[in-house]
Amino acid sequence: MQPATPLPLSLIVTAAALLLPLLAFGVIMLATRSRHRLSAAISIGAAGLSLIAAVYLLVQHWQMQAPLVFQTVWLVSGQMAIPIGILLDPLSLLMLTVVATISFLVQVYSLGYMAGDPGFGRYYGCMSLFAWAMLTLTVSSSLLQLYIFWELVGLASYLLIGFWFDKFSASEAGKKAFVMTRTGDVAFLLGLVLLWLQLGTLDIPVLTDPAAVAAALSPGMITLTALLIFGGIIGKSAQFPLLTWLPDAMEGPTPVSALLHSATMVAAGVYLFSRLFGYFSLSPTAMAVCLAIGTISMLLASSMAMVARDIKQVWAFSTISQLGFMLMGLGSGSLFAGVFHLTTHAGFKALLFLCAGVLIHRFHTNDMFEIGRLGGRRLKATVVCMIVGAAALSGLPPFSGFFSKEMILGQLLASGHPTAFLAALLGAFLTTYYAFRLIFILLFPLETDDAGHADGHGAHHGAWGERAMIAVLVCLAGVTVVLGFFEMSLHDFLARGLALDEAAPAHFTWLPMVAGTLAVAAVLQAWFEFGRKKARQIGWVERIPILADLFGQRWYLDRLYRYLLDTLVYRGVSRLFTANDRRVIDGALDGLGRSTIGLGRVVDWVHGGMIQYRLMIMVAAVILLILFIGWGG
Amino acid sequence: MIVPLNHILLLSGLLFSLGMFCTLARRNLIMMLLGIEIMLNAAAVAFVGASLHWQQMEGQAIVIFILAVAATEVSIGLAAILVVYRRTDSVDPAMEAALWEKGGRP
Amino acid sequence: MAYQLAGFPFLTTLLLCCVAGLLAILCIPARHARAIKIVSAVFSGFTLIVSIYLFIAYDQQAGGFQFVERVAWIPALGIAYFNGVDGFALPMLLLTGIVFFTAVLTMWELELRVKEFFSLIFLLVTGVFGLFMSLDLFFIFVWFDVSLFPMYLLIAIWGSTRKEYGAMKLTLYLLAGSALILPAIIYLVVHSGSMTFDLLALMEGTRFTPAQQRIAFFMLYIGFGILAGVFPFHTWSPVGHVAAPTAVSMIHAGVLMKIGAFGILRVGIFLCPDGWQFWAPLMAVLATCGIVYGVFVGLSQTDLKYVIGYSSVSHMGIVGLGLSTMTIDGLNGAVFQMFAHGIMTALFFSSVGHIYDRTHTKAIAELGGLSRVMPRASSFFIIAALTGIGVPCLASFWGELAVFMSCVSVYPVAGALAIGALAVGALFMLRVVQKTCYGPPLEKFAGLKDITAALAVPRVILVSVIVLFGLFPGVLFDMIHTATMHLIGLR
Repeated sequence: MQPATPLPLSLIVTAAALLLPLLAFGVIMLATRSRHRLSAAISIGAAGLSLIAAVYLLVQHWQMQAPLVFQTVWLVSGQMAIPIGILLDPLSLLMLTVVATISFLVQVYSLGYMAGDPGFGRYYGCMSLFAWAMLTLTVSSSLLQLYIFWELVGLASYLLIGFWFDKFSASEAGKKAFVMTRTGDVAFLLGLVLLWLQLGTLDIPVLTDPAAVAAALSPGMITLTALLIFGGIIGKSAQFPLLTWLPDAMEGPTPVSALLHSATMVAAGVYLFSRLFGYFSLSPTAMAVCLAIGTISMLLASSMAMVARDIKQVWAFSTISQLGFMLMGLGSGSLFAGVFHLTTHAGFKALLFLCAGVLIHRFHTNDMFEIGRLGGRRLKATVVCMIVGAAALSGLPPFSGFFSKEMILGQLLASGHPTAFLAALLGAFLTTYYAFRLIFILLFPLETDDAGHADGHGAHHGAWGERAMIAVLVCLAGVTVVLGFFEMSLHDFLARGLALDEAAPAHFTWLPMVAGTLAVAAVLQAWFEFGRKKARQIGWVERIPILADLFGQRWYLDRLYRYLLDTLVYRGVSRLFTANDRRVIDGALDGLGRSTIGLGRVVDWVHGGMIQYRLMIMVAAVILLILFIGWGG
Repeated sequence: MIVPLNHILLLSGLLFSLGMFCTLARRNLIMMLLGIEIMLNAAAVAFVGASLHWQQMEGQAIVIFILAVAATEVSIGLAAILVVYRRTDSVDPAMEAALWEKGGRP
Repeated sequence: MAYQLAGFPFLTTLLLCCVAGLLAILCIPARHARAIKIVSAVFSGFTLIVSIYLFIAYDQQAGGFQFVERVAWIPALGIAYFNGVDGFALPMLLLTGIVFFTAVLTMWELELRVKEFFSLIFLLVTGVFGLFMSLDLFFIFVWFDVSLFPMYLLIAIWGSTRKEYGAMKLTLYLLAGSALILPAIIYLVVHSGSMTFDLLALMEGTRFTPAQQRIAFFMLYIGFGILAGVFPFHTWSPVGHVAAPTAVSMIHAGVLMKIGAFGILRVGIFLCPDGWQFWAPLMAVLATCGIVYGVFVGLSQTDLKYVIGYSSVSHMGIVGLGLSTMTIDGLNGAVFQMFAHGIMTALFFSSVGHIYDRTHTKAIAELGGLSRVMPRASSFFIIAALTGIGVPCLASFWGELAVFMSCVSVYPVAGALAIGALAVGALFMLRVVQKTCYGPPLEKFAGLKDITAALAVPRVILVSVIVLFGLFPGVLFDMIHTATMHLIGLR
């Protein structure tokens, strides 16, 4: 790879963007953890500089023609060489900017949200760790490096979910998240190693070059490795069947949920898919599996979101479902549709979570009915921002989600997946329904509490913290409103560096109409059930007990996993092996010890004090000796 | 020589077996000592016979030697038994073994 | 050549440091406990400095055995005091130096029979250092036994939880190992055609027929393998770890188990490459069993130290797997993993030891909420656990990665199983972390003090080593690589 023109500056800027958060992490954890303000300043400073660097790189390379690769070797051992490097192409630049932006905004927001927490310094340390790992992940030049930072991102997620480790549920959720994503990563690592053995390199530019790959690998091997790597994506992006960790991960602080568990970290799976899009598209099976998994996850999660009462849970389910939606877009063969939805989703989902965070911060409850009752609608700016976010999520024009969703729908239709298309329409309908269900519950509570109660709460954290939170919300809402109109320029930008095979995004003139109508219908239904004056605020799902139960119990997936874990692992293999250790191995050993002692006793008796036995043995020995000699002679 | 060597050896062998049986089977230290004496004397008989047969005097000299050893052995042995008897009120070798078991063993 | 030296005898100096420390401790009256501790720290610090110096001064370009010193001892039998180090031995010396120094510092608060404790530790470590640097089969065996014998006393006197049982089990097991090693060594020497115990001389040419190599390698593998915690012979290790006092657990799991793997490498693989090749599948099977087995058994343990003991079984399985691949990457990874695991497990035991000293319990069910009570002490524990999980940028990751990569190419099924064990391993470690460190702070631990600065020093050293080699694994890999190339080149 010959790096193109402005090598040193781009390299330095990227390296700075990556290493500053690491530095911040080190400094905070080693030195300034107990000094809260300073820690926050260091972390936000680092994130801000990273953001500036990322924006600079994006602007600088807006017209880029060929990807830039800087690579050096981290470790060499025999045949194994682990490179570390930076790959700058439109995709990674876009993702870099998205991650840096949301990171920065969320860190600013946390100033207000986390104020007064005893672990404030630790919080910012972990946030910096995450920022470092995630930024480096996005610009990784080789799959192995990506895997390494993928794991580190998981570590940051573990630490942040379990941030309030006093709570059993939080530490349990952190553990669950780590182990479930690890399960996916096992497949990922296996696929990686297989790929490395076959190909001899894991550089992303090589992997995405269809000619090189097809020459070196058999189609079966491509499918196998693609599916194994997809296992990692399933784990990280919380897709079916490894989706149950994400709702639990909401135990973490809300800004963490906004940053890690909706906008960036969970999107890393989808990002990996887009990164290796060229590779995946070589295997029709892998693409079909991706489409199927995406569809299933999207529908499952949407159904769960319809009955959730916890405001964060709703957005968590929605995240799973939107990630599934992105995978549908990618699986149907359109890189741009998936990436575009990833970008818009990052914006509006972070917005939704942060709005929820403001409400939770103010009212100290996650229950949407409770928040509505306590007067959530009086926080005007927040509620407006939330409506903007929900509209984007629902795909209502002119918000950003409308454009990206419509593109995925169009792509599904154009690539000849009518079933998936219908499922996607259904999913979009359900999404709109549950989003506006939440909004209407907040806006039109059945009964309201006294007004003074709510205001008493918010006052005690300095006003500037609150203002920072609101400012972040407004920023994100602004992005959500305008981002959709940059569709074409983003497409051109991505098309310059990547082989986008579709000439232009597929457009069906009737599609926006249908999608829009559906969305409006869903809003109307939600209004009918939850919004209008005499609504009883009981959704149609709740009137069907079987469905309500099924959805409310998350399709019993959690119970099933818990049962399997208990019976197979704890009570099964683990107990069996332990018993083997205690009984068989140690038993045999102790038996050996005891029988040695027993044998000693027997021998002991022979040459015990009884003199005549000794004599007898002597005589016997002599007789035997004589016989032996007589025989021989 | 009137008595053939074979007969003398047979007698000696018989005596030896009797002595051995006495030593091994009797539960009495004194009888064991007697058994040992009998075995020694059996050997002495064999020596005398052999000495006569080959007309060599060394055999008879050794018999004298054996008598001397037997005398010392009996005197020391009886003394030891006496000590044991005083300490244990018994001349049973099994009792002796039991005593060793109890705590005499180093 | 009766006497041969290349420059200053650093290796003997290293040994003499230990011996001098031992003598110095013996000269101090037992009532001056503090003086004894200071002397121990100083002399163990010396050994650390010498081992770091050796690591740096080794000429990686030249490779091979350096700092060679050789004095004929019993010429008639071909026994010589023959020392030398290569890229395999140096990481082990460094590991021993680090673990030794930190273990001495960890026991700063010991009060029972201080003099005897530290003198036995010094004796033990003398044997360990001797084994890692010796190139004479006879001395390897002698050092092996020197390092075993103090273990019994150290565990039986200063231990806890069924200490006599643990000490006895450990000693018997390891002696059984040494009862296999000695015949194997004699067998090799007898069949070598010349009367010499010189490892390098025995390596020259093909002295042993494949059949002989198979017999000898098997005995060596089992004999040393017992010490390395190879699967069906591992049960001494958790029991021993549980019974041993903190510093002994650290040295034991950190260094002594490495002696086993190192012995397989140095004696078995160096002398019997054909035997290695023949038994490699068996090694792979046993190692994989150990990896999978260790994590599953660890999952259902109720004693903190048992948990770590079983994690050691699993991690040493990775070393065995690396050795069984017969590839450069596998060997590199195995030796790296030996080093990383040594440091990690030392950190693990020192933090568990601290928890035990403060709370007086090792039962997982009775612990909880320690992160609130002792934030620093529990963060050491958490870091150790994360290293054990194989989080990237902490040392263990690289060893595991190299081993897995080479293993999948040679034994795909074993590799897949070992990688799969990672997920269970994560569950197993995080479960322990959750139960001990997280959760609401418990009433009964409310008055406990966090770790003192003096006691934090050894833990900080260990953590920095983990992070250092996690971020710059090349330092160690390059070193190991010189020896691996040498070995593979010989075959």
